Amino acid sequence: MADLVIATEDLRKRYDSGELSVEALRGVDLTVAPGELVAVMGPSGSGKSTLLSILGCLEQPTSGSYLLAGEEVARFDERKAARVRRERIGFVFQSYNLLPRSTALQNVELPLIYAQIPRDERRRRAARALESVGLADRLAHLPSQLSGGQQQRVAVARAIVTEPAVLLADEPTGNLDSHSEAEILEILDDLHDRGATIVMVTHAREVAEHGTRILHMLDGRIEIDETLRASRAAPVPT
Amino acid sequence: MSLAEQLGLAVQALRANWLRGLLTALGVIIGVASLVTLTAISAGAREGVATDLKRLGPNIVLLDGEFITLPNGVTTPTDRTLTRGDLEAVARLPSVRAVAARQVVEGLTISSGRVRTSPFVSGVSPDYLRIHNVTAAQGRLLTRDDNRFGREVIVLGSIPARRLFRAAAAVGHTVRVLDREFTVVGVYARRGSLGGENLDNNAFLPLTVAKRVLFGGDNVHGADVQVASAADVAPTMDAIDSLMAERHKIGGGLEDWSTEDQAQIINAAQAATSTFQTLTLALGAIALIVGGIGIMNIMLVSVTERTREIGIRKALGADPRHIQGQFLTEALVLCTAGGALGVGLGLAVARVVSSLAGWQTVIAPGTLVVAFATALAVGLFFGFYPARRAARLPPAVAMRYD
Ligand SMILES: Nc1ncnc2c1ncn2[C@@H]1O[C@H](COP(=O)(O)OP(=O)(O)OP(=O)(O)O)[C@@H](O)[C@H]1O
Ligand SMILES: [Mg+2]
Repeated sequence: MADLVIATEDLRKRYDSGELSVEALRGVDLTVAPGELVAVMGPSGSGKSTLLSILGCLEQPTSGSYLLAGEEVARFDERKAARVRRERIGFVFQSYNLLPRSTALQNVELPLIYAQIPRDERRRRAARALESVGLADRLAHLPSQLSGGQQQRVAVARAIVTEPAVLLADEPTGNLDSHSEAEILEILDDLHDRGATIVMVTHAREVAEHGTRILHMLDGRIEIDETLRASRAAPVPT
Repeated sequence: MSLAEQLGLAVQALRANWLRGLLTALGVIIGVASLVTLTAISAGAREGVATDLKRLGPNIVLLDGEFITLPNGVTTPTDRTLTRGDLEAVARLPSVRAVAARQVVEGLTISSGRVRTSPFVSGVSPDYLRIHNVTAAQGRLLTRDDNRFGREVIVLGSIPARRLFRAAAAVGHTVRVLDREFTVVGVYARRGSLGGENLDNNAFLPLTVAKRVLFGGDNVHGADVQVASAADVAPTMDAIDSLMAERHKIGGGLEDWSTEDQAQIINAAQAATSTFQTLTLALGAIALIVGGIGIMNIMLVSVTERTREIGIRKALGADPRHIQGQFLTEALVLCTAGGALGVGLGLAVARVVSSLAGWQTVIAPGTLVVAFATALAVGLFFGFYPARRAARLPPAVAMRYD
């Protein structure tokens, strides 16, 4: 199935720190087709963030295989992984993770800098991404001058500015009030409608229900893979 | 990322903590300042040697009579061992241009009315003032006729002239030396000092007069021999030594004369700066090492503080080289800024030193280049490890800060 965005097989992750050894993932088999919005739920410590960081090539799995858009990336070294991150992955974190001394525009430009996009084009694309999340009038603001919801919208703009193959969001609305949460979800829905592939961790059922599927994790495994509906925009593979 | 952007990023990061940066760069500032001061002073000393040689007369061999202790334990009573014949023989050596006899008379007092002063009084042959590039500031210098006719005239240095006559013109006045009267015919132009000896505190009489009235006898204790070129100095010293050995025939390896190169005396005088230079070099080296370690330390702290930033950048696609470049650039910018401040401080210190110690300083453009290069090298060397450490931080930290 070469056209899958994500295909993992028996993904395992063990953290060894001294005496302690934690098995955060114990064999995850997951496939995500283009255009899916996959929600990941599960109790604290069940391995959701660990799964996301492996899918985002922030960490290597201890064992198992991971095909990202058909390419085996599980054993990529730092430089190759960095390249995968800047070309095919967009991250949104619970705590926004904006650089505090950089403006909204500069934050959104960051991934384009590492992708070596020339300055003018970078500015243009970053401004357009901010516009698409409704922040056209906040380009020069520092994160400290923005509300939590606005900061998270900057973070989303930053994640999509490179047009990644997959958007990974770890509790993107976890720190937000219900109004800001609704705004972020609207943006994600919109991206989904336009065919983006998204994997999103959340603790809230009503947030998860924005997805096409909900994965329920427990103790490092996907216990239930609940399909809600077909992907909205993507053609159903035959 | 372009170089300008990389630099801008580094400046932005440093500005956020500029006081810390400044304190960190202090070692580099002091180190570079020391280097600048050091090179300014040593270049000044080198140039000083050159100007001293010009000022004091080039290509001169000093021939001096010496006391000797004979094998029977008796020390000879005088160092006036150079005879007229010796000097004539030296003058016949092919490389010799001129031979000027001199005889210092110690402990003499010169007086004018009730005012008295005690400069170094020397009887000299007429060539002496000429080969030492002495010129007249007032009146004239000693002439051949002064010497031939034994005129009781005297040429004063600026110091005794001022002591005896204040601001008034000295020329034409009479001064007393012992119980004789001498006419002041000139005051020579200022010559400065050489190795702690003030060359302006002298008075010169015709050698014939000095011999007659002051000490009698025909021998002198010194002669300055001018040779044709600097290359002739060493061979001429050897030639004079063998000539003197031949003429004096003392035996037993004893020599009642010595020869010296005036250039070496000048070099030795400038060597006074060399102790200072060594200390400055040591201070500079220590400051640079300590400063470098300080920079390494602060960069390591900075890497720890900015673990999250590094994680974010990595999550967004920065690879280890980007991060390493970023932190190395910060260290380099810090050191370059320190280098610039150090150059400024060094120039100021060099100026203060030259006005306090009277040493000449010369600022060569090369000095500034070397100073900056050193600062950059320190940044590169001590910034490398923290930068590599930043580059090796795991990217997953961004995720784990949630
Ligand atoms: N770097 C690490 N070193 C050691 N153990 C780790 C590390 N990261 C995660 N773990 C452990 O792995 C397990 C899974 O953690 P993970 O962060 O994936 O859980 P999670 O499902 O995201 O939880 P939460 O809902 O609280 O965010 C936990 O037991 C955690 O303590
Ligand atoms: Mg988590």
